[in-house]
Amino acid sequence: MSASLEAYLARLYLDADARHAFAADPRGTASRAGLDAGDVAALEQVDRVGLELAARSLQARRATGPRRNWLARLLARWCLR
Amino acid sequence: MLGHDRVGLGWRPELAAGILADLDRVDLVEVIADDYVGAGRGALRALRTLAIQVPLVLHGISLGLASAAPVDGRRLDALARVVGAVEPQGWSEHLAFVRGGGLDLGHLAAPPRRQATLEGLVANLARARASVGSVPALENVATLIDPPGSDRDEPAWLADAVAATGGELLLDLHNLHANAVNFGFDAHAALARLPLACVRFVHLAGGAWIGAAGGERRVLDDHRHDVPAPVFDLLAELAARAPNPLAVIVERDGDYPPIEHLLAELDRARVALAGGRARVAA
Repeated sequence: MSASLEAYLARLYLDADARHAFAADPRGTASRAGLDAGDVAALEQVDRVGLELAARSLQARRATGPRRNWLARLLARWCLR
Repeated sequence: MLGHDRVGLGWRPELAAGILADLDRVDLVEVIADDYVGAGRGALRALRTLAIQVPLVLHGISLGLASAAPVDGRRLDALARVVGAVEPQGWSEHLAFVRGGGLDLGHLAAPPRRQATLEGLVANLARARASVGSVPALENVATLIDPPGSDRDEPAWLADAVAATGGELLLDLHNLHANAVNFGFDAHAALARLPLACVRFVHLAGGAWIGAAGGERRVLDDHRHDVPAPVFDLLAELAARAPNPLAVIVERDGDYPPIEHLLAELDRARVALAGGRARVAA
């Protein structure tokens, strides 16, 4: 099911340990996660460079926190007066 | 052709003063709706005031509509409150998933391009219509990874999404450019396969190369750099092919240059639009 694949991808993007385990045994880890055979086969062919870069990009964005801070909001509101 | 093309900027607090001082050069602004989710009545009133001063559209970034999983009803209701208070000229969201298995990615991820996702998208848009009263224009996303589990390419996915939902497309030309560079397809050929009669909004932005451990590089859509020339070329091509007026937004989310620099990018977009439209007239 697609929802399960999204959940598994979310884990791969955010969890370095899960990514390392997956890299060592894609079929085994994906199968144990409960994905159906089609999704397991898709993950065996995964774009590994893309997985590394996507994970890095998402982690960097999470590390920077919320997109706006209270001071910026205050500035925006001040400008609207 | 009814109406006319418009060019504007993404509303960011860091750019607010510059935009307000140069409203004669900014046709419209696009506000991140999520910044106003949970905001008080004063903040929403201020945003409504802005919408009276300058045409305004809202842009969502965290619904995760392109998912086999149902969209969070509380998020939808919160967004509906913002849309209801501001009365924008339109609103948009991404063809992305943003959470899964209880994990929040904190950003957009390209979903598997396949039927199950399409069916989830259709269901989620029905929920959006019920909550907000309208459906968003759908934006193509940039991706660093070829989405696993996909059974169709990006142009087919976008065409299918629009056909299944009957919605409008927000075509992000830098996302299209970045994906074309990263995955080796021709962006202009991809553009020609899109349902261009459904394109109402356009995003322009810039990005940068990033490298993997093995040395391979890809383009990251980071919104921190100038709009590159190939993206303006795509805008001209779009203007030559799209039958309806376009609302073009330049997005910038960091490393902010002086406002004059961004206004010059808006002027360059106008030149590209005019060039494309002139090709139709010729």
